[in-house]
Amino acid sequence: MNQNPLNRAFFNKLRVIGLTQFAHMTIYRAEIVIWMLSGTLSLIMGLIWMQQADSAPGGKIGGYSARDFASYFVATWATAQLLVTWVGWELSFDIRQGTLSPKLLRPLDPFWTHYVNHLAERLVRLPAMLILMTVFMLATGARFGTDPKLWLAYAALVALGFLFRFFWEYCIGLLAFWFEATDNFQEIVWVMYISLGGLLAPLSLYPVAVQNVARLTPFPYMLGLPCDLITGKAGLSEALRGGLVLLGWTLAFGLLRAWVWRRGVGKYGAVGA
Amino acid sequence: MRFLRLIRIYVGASLSTQLAYRANFVAAILGSLANLATGLLGVLLFYSRPEIGDLGGWSLNAALMVVGFFTLTEGVISIWLRPNLTQLAEGIRTGTLDFLLLKPVDAQFQLSFRNLDVLRLPDLVLGIGLIVYGAAKLGTVTPWNALLGTCLYLSAVAMVYAIWFILNTSAFWLVNVQNIGELFQGVFSAGRYPVQALPTWIRPVLTFVVPVAFVTTIPAQALRGEVGTSLALLSPLVAGVMLALCRLVWVRALGSYTSASS
Repeated sequence: MNQNPLNRAFFNKLRVIGLTQFAHMTIYRAEIVIWMLSGTLSLIMGLIWMQQADSAPGGKIGGYSARDFASYFVATWATAQLLVTWVGWELSFDIRQGTLSPKLLRPLDPFWTHYVNHLAERLVRLPAMLILMTVFMLATGARFGTDPKLWLAYAALVALGFLFRFFWEYCIGLLAFWFEATDNFQEIVWVMYISLGGLLAPLSLYPVAVQNVARLTPFPYMLGLPCDLITGKAGLSEALRGGLVLLGWTLAFGLLRAWVWRRGVGKYGAVGA
Repeated sequence: MRFLRLIRIYVGASLSTQLAYRANFVAAILGSLANLATGLLGVLLFYSRPEIGDLGGWSLNAALMVVGFFTLTEGVISIWLRPNLTQLAEGIRTGTLDFLLLKPVDAQFQLSFRNLDVLRLPDLVLGIGLIVYGAAKLGTVTPWNALLGTCLYLSAVAMVYAIWFILNTSAFWLVNVQNIGELFQGVFSAGRYPVQALPTWIRPVLTFVVPVAFVTTIPAQALRGEVGTSLALLSPLVAGVMLALCRLVWVRALGSYTSASS
């Protein structure tokens, strides 16, 4: 085998971190379920839209019947579950409390530990999520497409969207190097994410002006678009176009993260040590 | 009164720690405005559709009062309930609850008022502003209805406190449940909208199982003059029962508490 030893060591580290983080996350399963149950906004929006569609003339609002709304909002609920991130909160805690110092001594950028930690949590979350999703589908009559190509596109967009959100939360968490608390900054971006991402309604039902603004941001391509794919409201060409926009934003925030991290650690060394 | 003096001291201490962080103060104001914008967008989306005339019998101006009560309550929760009550689980786990029990003031009182996140005060202002705006646009609110709405809302806040407190008291038995209050928040996000906008089957749940309707819909209905005397009497009664229950749970919990070290 002619492998780069550096790479092998790196993947070995990732594997070990993955196993420990998975074990770590199984301890918090009760908390994970509590957090899951608290993210109900998309379900409530879904119930209201379904109720309105039922009582609207023709049974449809903007081309959506009650069942279309059910499918869309069960999908956004599940997708939002897959996109959950708390790395910003952990980073700002580590920086303020000084617990970042021992992590800097490890021969690996803390970025990877956090990233693998989130992936491990997704594995713990998945079973409960699938059970709840089945219950919601049976209760509301939500239906999803079966085309494997669309599901692959869904998975790719969600994975990319998660990475994007991870980068942005990471950047905001790192602001703790300069500011004392970052929770309120997180909240501002989160609000943009849920309103422009399509958690309140399918984007096509928004006023045109808001739609035009939203299309310039990455948010609709990580939440609304994947859900449109599996509910049959969008096709592969839209997925490709949205994916490219999202990729651009992700690369930009990836670079921004690296830059902020370098600047911040330099400052931290001067203050904390 | 002793409790009022203590609350004044707590507020002063919270203010002086939090106002030191000026950038955070600006971010908190922006956060409150962004939250309000989402709340408004969520309602305006429905009224912007030509297919929807009114939301379960609520005109836009009346629905804005519901959004106002929701924003106000979110403010009350993030200023008062979340910063205090989430400390309980941590205190039980690490044993710092003992310091609190040793002080010559009622422990439930201390636990409930020690920390106030004053940075979220804009939520209160925006919430009340929106209620007043909606009521003024509606133009049919009498002083009597305003008084009734205020009383019903205050009873509702007492209910929310009792629910948050009981949820967090479960930490005496379950230990690691610092985020258990978020269970209520999950159901409470239905309170952004008049309960009549939701399907019929879920309305009793939001009224009698988790009293979300009492917090936002019913005070707004009172302002519209649609609440009769029986409900106006029922709400404080339910609040009183829930407060008594919450005190009972607290006393039982303390009775079974053995501290982290022993």
